Amino acid sequence: MFDWHLVGLSFITVFLSELGDKSQLAAIALSGSSKFPRAVFLGSAGALLLTSFLGVLAGEGASVLLPVRLVKAIAAIGFALMAVRLLWPEGDLPED
Amino acid sequence: MPVKLSSAPPNLSAVESVNLSLSTLQPVIEPKQKDSTDGEKAVKKLRQGALAVFGSTFLTIFLSEMGDKTQVATLLMSAESQSPWLVFAGASSALVATSLLGCLLGRWLANRVSPQMLKTAAGVSLLFIAVQLLWEITHY
Repeated sequence: MFDWHLVGLSFITVFLSELGDKSQLAAIALSGSSKFPRAVFLGSAGALLLTSFLGVLAGEGASVLLPVRLVKAIAAIGFALMAVRLLWPEGDLPED
Repeated sequence: MPVKLSSAPPNLSAVESVNLSLSTLQPVIEPKQKDSTDGEKAVKKLRQGALAVFGSTFLTIFLSEMGDKTQVATLLMSAESQSPWLVFAGASSALVATSLLGCLLGRWLANRVSPQMLKTAAGVSLLFIAVQLLWEITHY
């Protein structure tokens, strides 16, 4: 039997926990300022799908997780670089 | 005003130049050939740009969400339940929905706020996310 209850519960839990969270803020910021909002959507949705896929895999057995601190530090650098690119005065960067 | 996720990218220079060449009284064939190579170049450039945007978005969001509360919640729910793939179905549709909402909101703002203002706001938001991530690293 298909357990709609479980699907609904996980949908609502994840939806509420992601609403207004940093990845959604990033999606707003990037899609608003980018020429390719669809690419931003696909990138964001794809990345989130992969993280929850890995979460499900890890939940099933091997709880081998990446060094979270290191990964987050790399992500912080990535966001900071994109921020600098947006805040940098026009003309100093090659047109893309 | 309807919000369109797929609003046309601004540099459609190839299309514009096609329109221009059609409006002038020059011979049709020669400019058309020129425009088609220009168009191919423009399309290639657009595709590369979109790919770069996709890649950078994917990587940063993927790395920032690793080990984050949503992933932990998914992990716990799928470990507790007997059917982890139903949890994945619920969680993944929720994540697609939140990213779609985010992108629609971004486009909606882009239609309302000046590009320079939006760029600054987006830059500040991304800096804020970077700081938040650093805070998470030091406080857990």
